[in-house]
Amino acid sequence: MAISNTQVIFDNLYGIFTYLAFLVGIIVFALMAYLIIRYRAKKSSSDPEDTPRLGRIPTSRGHGRNVLVTVTLSTFLLAVLIITSFAAVDTLFPNNPPNATWCYSIAAYNQTQTAGQSCPRLDVTGHQFYWVFTYPGARSYTNFFRVPVNTTVVLDVTSADVFHDFGIIQFKIKTDAIKGRTNTIWFIPYQTGTYTIQCFELCGTGHVGMIATLAVMNVTAFQSWYGSAK
Amino acid sequence: MSQDILPPRIRRWLFTTNHKEVGILYLVTALFFFVAAGLLALTMRTQLSVPDNHVLTETLYNQFVTVHGLLMIFWVLSPFAFGFANYIIPLQIGARDLAFPRLNAMSYWFYLFSGVAIIMSFIFGAPDLGWTLYSPQTAIQFSPSIGLNVGAAALILITVSITMSSVNFLVTMFKMRAPGMKLRHMPVFPWAILVTIFMMLYAFPSFLAAVLLLYVDRAFGTFYFSSIQGGALLWDNVFWFFGHPEVYIVLFPAIGLIADVIPTFTRRPLYGAKYVIGSMIAAAIISFIVWGHHMFVTGIGLTSTKLYTVTTIAVSLPFDVMVIAMIETLIKARIKLKAAALFALGAIALFVIGGITGVYLASVALDHALRGTYFVVAHFHYIMVGGSIMGLIAGLYYWFPKFTGRMYNETVAKIHFVVSFIGFNILYFPMFLLLDMPRRIQTYAPDTGWGSLNSLATLGGFIFGGAQVLLFLNLFLSQRKGLPSGPNPWDGWTLEWSLPSPPPAHDFDTIPTIAEDGTYHFGDSPGLPNGAGYPNGSKIGNGYSHSHLEGLSAWPIVVAFAAFIFFLGLTIGQPNNPTTPVTFQPFWPLIADGAILGVIALYGYSRERFSVHEETRTESWPFREVPNVKLGIWTFLGAEVIFFGVLIGAYFFVRTNSPTWPEIGSLFDIRNGFAMTLVLLTSSLTAIMALVSAKIGSRNGLISSLLATFGLGVAFLYIKSTEWVYLGTHGVFSVASGLPATSYFITTGTHGVHVFAGMLMTLYLLVNSLKGRYLKGDHQAIEHFGLYWHFVDIVWVFLFPLFYLI
Repeated sequence: MAISNTQVIFDNLYGIFTYLAFLVGIIVFALMAYLIIRYRAKKSSSDPEDTPRLGRIPTSRGHGRNVLVTVTLSTFLLAVLIITSFAAVDTLFPNNPPNATWCYSIAAYNQTQTAGQSCPRLDVTGHQFYWVFTYPGARSYTNFFRVPVNTTVVLDVTSADVFHDFGIIQFKIKTDAIKGRTNTIWFIPYQTGTYTIQCFELCGTGHVGMIATLAVMNVTAFQSWYGSAK
Repeated sequence: MSQDILPPRIRRWLFTTNHKEVGILYLVTALFFFVAAGLLALTMRTQLSVPDNHVLTETLYNQFVTVHGLLMIFWVLSPFAFGFANYIIPLQIGARDLAFPRLNAMSYWFYLFSGVAIIMSFIFGAPDLGWTLYSPQTAIQFSPSIGLNVGAAALILITVSITMSSVNFLVTMFKMRAPGMKLRHMPVFPWAILVTIFMMLYAFPSFLAAVLLLYVDRAFGTFYFSSIQGGALLWDNVFWFFGHPEVYIVLFPAIGLIADVIPTFTRRPLYGAKYVIGSMIAAAIISFIVWGHHMFVTGIGLTSTKLYTVTTIAVSLPFDVMVIAMIETLIKARIKLKAAALFALGAIALFVIGGITGVYLASVALDHALRGTYFVVAHFHYIMVGGSIMGLIAGLYYWFPKFTGRMYNETVAKIHFVVSFIGFNILYFPMFLLLDMPRRIQTYAPDTGWGSLNSLATLGGFIFGGAQVLLFLNLFLSQRKGLPSGPNPWDGWTLEWSLPSPPPAHDFDTIPTIAEDGTYHFGDSPGLPNGAGYPNGSKIGNGYSHSHLEGLSAWPIVVAFAAFIFFLGLTIGQPNNPTTPVTFQPFWPLIADGAILGVIALYGYSRERFSVHEETRTESWPFREVPNVKLGIWTFLGAEVIFFGVLIGAYFFVRTNSPTWPEIGSLFDIRNGFAMTLVLLTSSLTAIMALVSAKIGSRNGLISSLLATFGLGVAFLYIKSTEWVYLGTHGVFSVASGLPATSYFITTGTHGVHVFAGMLMTLYLLVNSLKGRYLKGDHQAIEHFGLYWHFVDIVWVFLFPLFYLI
């Protein structure tokens, strides 16, 4: 189910990684199991000719060729993973995030919408042990915030005290909240509903309760909430 | 010092310097901490088994999380491996002991006392912010507990222990191999330890510097890690520069061990041994350029994260080669599935899963979802428990007959493997599926849906933990009642199997030589005189008649105890202001006790006549002409370079992040700095003159040069202290008045302490040279002092322009 653009990107990439992981894992484990069964010592058999014996340093064996083949194959697989990762990260965390559009439905921002400009970013500040979300005009809420569905939301995340980490669990997106630094993340929610925000860096006694809620609303509901809740 | 008041058994274990006994001490202590840390983990698993559980309070849970991590990483994994290294490596390379036996004992006692300190921290409120100790939470206003200070003392002590022991092993492996044994002749286990030591030497100084700066922040109210300019990212950088190599430091010994166990039980030589060793070296080098993957979501920028993604994914290639080589060894083999082999093969399988999931975390895109979740916990436990602990347990079964001369119960050992392996996977595999659950949380709500997987993991935890009872019972009973094993029960090829089990105190009657064709020779005859069936240590040849009560020294434990008292004094003082603490008062009585005892013990240590076979033998490139002590000092100085590098790096970091910085010359007089530079450079010259005088045998020249060196040291510290007093009394500039001041005082202060230490050495040398020592052939001590002194001077040559001129 598509919950947000970030979750879709994550699921796709995670799928590719997991597919290759199982492929490699199954080959390796099958090979190990086969070899262990096939070459298990039998009473009747005797040691191979080159068995290492006390009194002499074993002769070295092994072909550089095999190492080269292994490394080349792995490099090929890993290159796939690097390229797909880079494509994902370019979308998820570009140096300049896309224009925010969450405010377009609100009357005060008509100008912004017609000019195709970015809505203001929302500020997120971690405190021991709660989150504060600030909309334009210094309207701030503790431990919850709301955005309209199918719009682009850009968050500037920071901390007022210690090292926190801001994660919207279902959206598969996360960034550190560090005092003196601002880390930006963005997402487009696809489904209305409530989502869980939790702190992902141990920040003291109280960390376990550092949980907030994101409500994704349909546009009209958001409009009336934003208009009324001043 | 009178040692005879104690009964021989106790004396033997407290004062031993024999590598085998020190090895056993390491193993037993590491296993003790393994049980302690495991019990903490089981308590945490109980707490997490169902949602909304409250067996542990959140504070206690956080303390358990932190101490469990610290114990396992610092006090279990490495010491476990170094217990084997202590016992086995001298045997495998044909040496009768490590290069510096007393230093080795001292490393152990530092390790033990550091462990006592970390356990003690529970009395004062143990560290509760994760083993990674992220700043600024470590700042005193967020963590006013003394427990964190005691934890810092423990970390400093164990870093000292590790540094001493890495110098010791490095010198041993380069200088004391049997004649004819080239580096490439060494089995893989010593190779893995060698690579590990190099990583330790370059990673731990960074950690030491970080912990030192943290301590200074907490004790003197400075701002390295609590300010925005330094803060979280400075800690992240210096911590993870150490932290990632540390992962391989705890892993490589187990890999090396597995690579030696597998050929023994498959009856074939390791496939591509030289590629395995080459891969280890490659992975060790790459491990120093991947630390940014621990900082993917700190906001270090798209380009940096991509670079770190590539380096981190690339580090999986050498591990590929290692795993494939082990698997290829099985082809056309004759595999005997003894317990050691089962654990070795099992460790590889689990390591493969840990490695593959590591690639997920190397991808910056996936890391944005997986960071800080149970996926990470699962991944690194597959590496550290699945790879390292399982591998080390293979070593325990493999070498148990060598340690004790007795066999363990094979059936119980096999059951131990099966139950451990199944329990392990029930414990950790569900955590991969908990990829939404934050790690290090004390509890979770029922509606998260995390309950059933957690219950499963807890069940697995108790199965895995319970299985270890079999291990301890089996080994404990078998060392008393097991069947005699004989010298070589596994038909292994490495040199330790040529000795009786357990080997006699002096190890080898005759040191083997390795001929061009790779055969060992003992004395004139080729073959295996030592191991070929002598009853346990009955034949003592070549004039060696060491019993286990020879080669005892009381000083290592005393020095370590003094250091323990000293660091405890530095850390258990009360906060200066109980309501809003800014700094801690040191507890002076303990500091003074520790310092006095330390000076006495070090004096006793240096005066003790101790020469248990400290012979230097073969060496090939690159240290052919370098004696043991000198190589040790060079190695130590290499670690010092990293240490000062981090201090200077931290200075650069805070300076470039500060919007403003005082103008040149506005803080301190450039002329002072210039004068100090001249004084120190001149003292390098006098140190050289002292060496020349010693070499040509001029006693007066030696004494006057040493006096001049000492005097110039005094002059340097005098100018420095007037500068410090001036800055302090004029109020502009105290250690806690801002980052320019902090970085100046701490960096030059640390250098000043090094100068002071050098002057103490000069005094010691002066006293002895007045008695007519060090002349002609006896000049080594002067040369070693010179190396240290020149290093200290060179550091100043960097500090002068950095602080005074730019």
